[in-house]
Amino acid sequence: MFDIIGKRRWFYVFSALIMIPGLIFLLMTPFSGGQVGLQFSIDFTGGTVWEVHFRDQTPTPAQVRQVLAEQELDGSVALTTSGDRQYVLIRTEQIGLADFPEPTASPAASPGGSPAASPGSSPAASPAVSPDQSPATSPGASPSVSPSPAGASPEPSPGSGSGVVLPTEGRLAELAEALQARFGPIDEVRQEANIGPIISAELAQQALVLIVLGSIGILGWMTFRFRDARMGAVAIVALLHDVIVVLGIFAILGTLMGLQIDALFVTAMLTVIGFSVHDTIVVFDRVRENRVRHAGEPFAAIVNHSLLQTLGRSLNTSITTVLVLLALLLFGSDATRAFIFAMVIGIISGTYSSIFNASALLVTWHEWSEKRRQREFASVHSR
Amino acid sequence: MRRILPILIVAIGLASLAVNVLTLPRPFSEDPCAPPGVTTGCIETRLGLDLQGGLRGEYQAVGTADRPVNRENLADVRTIIENRINQYGVAEPIVQTQGSDRIVVEIPGVANPQDVRDLIGSTGLLQFVPIPAGTPGIGTGVRIPPELPELFRGDDLEVARPGFDPQGRRAVEFELTAAGAQAFATYTSQNVGNQFAIVLDGEVISAPVIQNPITGGRGIITGSFTSAEVTNLVTVLRFGALPLEIEEVSFSQISATLGLDFLRQSVLAGGIGIILVLIFMIIHYRLPGLIACLALIFYAMVVFAIFRLVPVTLTLAGVAAFVLSVGMAVDANILIFERTKEELRSGKTLFTAIEAGFNRAWNSIFDSNVSSIITAAILFYFGSAVIRGFALVLIIGVLMSMFTAITLSRELLRWVVRQRWARRAWLFGVNDDEFTMATPRTRTREVNAGV
Repeated sequence: MFDIIGKRRWFYVFSALIMIPGLIFLLMTPFSGGQVGLQFSIDFTGGTVWEVHFRDQTPTPAQVRQVLAEQELDGSVALTTSGDRQYVLIRTEQIGLADFPEPTASPAASPGGSPAASPGSSPAASPAVSPDQSPATSPGASPSVSPSPAGASPEPSPGSGSGVVLPTEGRLAELAEALQARFGPIDEVRQEANIGPIISAELAQQALVLIVLGSIGILGWMTFRFRDARMGAVAIVALLHDVIVVLGIFAILGTLMGLQIDALFVTAMLTVIGFSVHDTIVVFDRVRENRVRHAGEPFAAIVNHSLLQTLGRSLNTSITTVLVLLALLLFGSDATRAFIFAMVIGIISGTYSSIFNASALLVTWHEWSEKRRQREFASVHSR
Repeated sequence: MRRILPILIVAIGLASLAVNVLTLPRPFSEDPCAPPGVTTGCIETRLGLDLQGGLRGEYQAVGTADRPVNRENLADVRTIIENRINQYGVAEPIVQTQGSDRIVVEIPGVANPQDVRDLIGSTGLLQFVPIPAGTPGIGTGVRIPPELPELFRGDDLEVARPGFDPQGRRAVEFELTAAGAQAFATYTSQNVGNQFAIVLDGEVISAPVIQNPITGGRGIITGSFTSAEVTNLVTVLRFGALPLEIEEVSFSQISATLGLDFLRQSVLAGGIGIILVLIFMIIHYRLPGLIACLALIFYAMVVFAIFRLVPVTLTLAGVAAFVLSVGMAVDANILIFERTKEELRSGKTLFTAIEAGFNRAWNSIFDSNVSSIITAAILFYFGSAVIRGFALVLIIGVLMSMFTAITLSRELLRWVVRQRWARRAWLFGVNDDEFTMATPRTRTREVNAGV
């Protein structure tokens, strides 16, 4: 029978070897000014993404960057997409949000004494206001002719003409103009996204809150079901292992290939957490069952046996899930590629950690506390 | 119970099939079931903006000391914006509040972002500003000098409607609240002949001359208006008064072609993934695997029907969650079959092994799925829109996967093992000598197989 638990030190070393490079890259994220470590998308940093198609040509990224630099948008990214219809994707600081006119709130600053210099003070040609016809206060409802009011009549025409709709106000409009002047007309806007600082700050905060709350929920549930806080705690350690592995790999690939993490990545992370705990619970469930059945056996043997019994299920479930994810990865859309990739890594790591780390840690913890108890027992008796 | 279950399963299956393929009116909906594109009461698949294209803007309400953001005035802002957007005449715009201080506007299909923003942005602050005598150049379209204090705001305006002056010309009638009426009475009594301005977002909409003191809180704005101008002025007076300022915090637009690309890719990839799983299950688990496949197809059909009924808006993340939940549904079956195999190997008969497989695997299925539901519920409760969609799909998926595993898979397997042709060892992936058909041979095997 294969002894997984007996070799647990090797698996700890293996996990450490996987995690340490990723951790180094992760920890460098805040100190390297964005050069090394996790690369955040505009969902986290705020910014504008604009994907367009030029009718006459596809400019190279370098050409587009030059225009961006002229618009004082240094540090922007420009890419051309693959496929038979090539789009130019531009990523900049946030330049596309509408700036609504700030209503002049009334600070009641000025006294009434404004310089009454002008002669023809109130032109006769203006609308007039008067009491409604009914009251007797003043019957002379005076006429007064005027040009039309209603300047801000909101009845825009949908689509405004045919074809493409380009921004007409703000810095994005200036950029659109500059690009068209250089590369000819833009005939399609594939997507536009503007994320303001409020939303992006919220996402990062929300991600942390969700991961912490999710962990607490899992810990509570496992403690309740297994009547053993240790199992919950170990499951959380395995879960942290998986989170660090995925984040680490994204930090490394982000540094090398510019792989970004976005809002969907947070979702992927949470799914990975769910799956990791799923696997761990199935093993622990068997441990619980075998503990009753084979009472008296060494704990390490019980855990090892439970692991082997559930190994088939763990591997087969991972294989089927990874199969689905690989299909999504290969045939799915670009928009979800990073998301799916995160899940593939996370689910493989989750299976690994539930087999080789969570159960092993449970044994380590158990033996450690046994030893301590024996030592206490011995010291009490030696007195 | 044994008798009812198969009937129930068939009924659910048929109902799901009907919901998925037929065009049915939505229950409890007042809208008629009309052709797609119009607001309909049909049961239909709801696609998120990322799968059908459209634009989405998110707006933050900003309160002030005397005007904090609360549920009522946020709802007012929502209604006003919705009225404005509806004038634009696009199909099925959605305007909803989100959290305690956000408004989200979603418009599927093609729309001009600038127009939409003009509509939303113009629904700003309506003020009534007295113009001191001798101030030059105040007229329609002029920006009001910021140092002029307001007399009162748009929400002191109770009623605004089109009307006529005594000469029978078009005019706009208005009524003020008690507070507004008093302020207006005092002011107009002292300032006959002066102008006051109706100001929307700092821009003068109309600057009538005060003809007579207005003491009753009811007044009339006259001028040579066209009918459209009257309507516009009334609309501004009525809906122009947003009780709060708003700020655009995110805005995105996806073209319909890109949405369609996303949809096609997701469906193709999801389909290929699920077929791969089915093949794997049949090869690896043989007869039980085939049963699991039937259960999975049933599962997918029911879940999709629930999505259409609820309705759950399917987004890119939602499709991924659905595919993932298929993975979890398979997991339940795998747990059961692995356990059944084990029980077979420990010397149990086929019948008892299957029952034991289900019963023993149930603990694991329940524990692990509840933990998934707990995390998904946390996501749903605290997450943003994208995350919530994902979580909802996952919750429905996990619940239904538990249901199909313990009903359909179990009933089918029970039925199959009663058939003579099915009682072969290789169909269950075990050796001949591990396979005990009728009665348990001995108890010794079980002891040997122990730890």
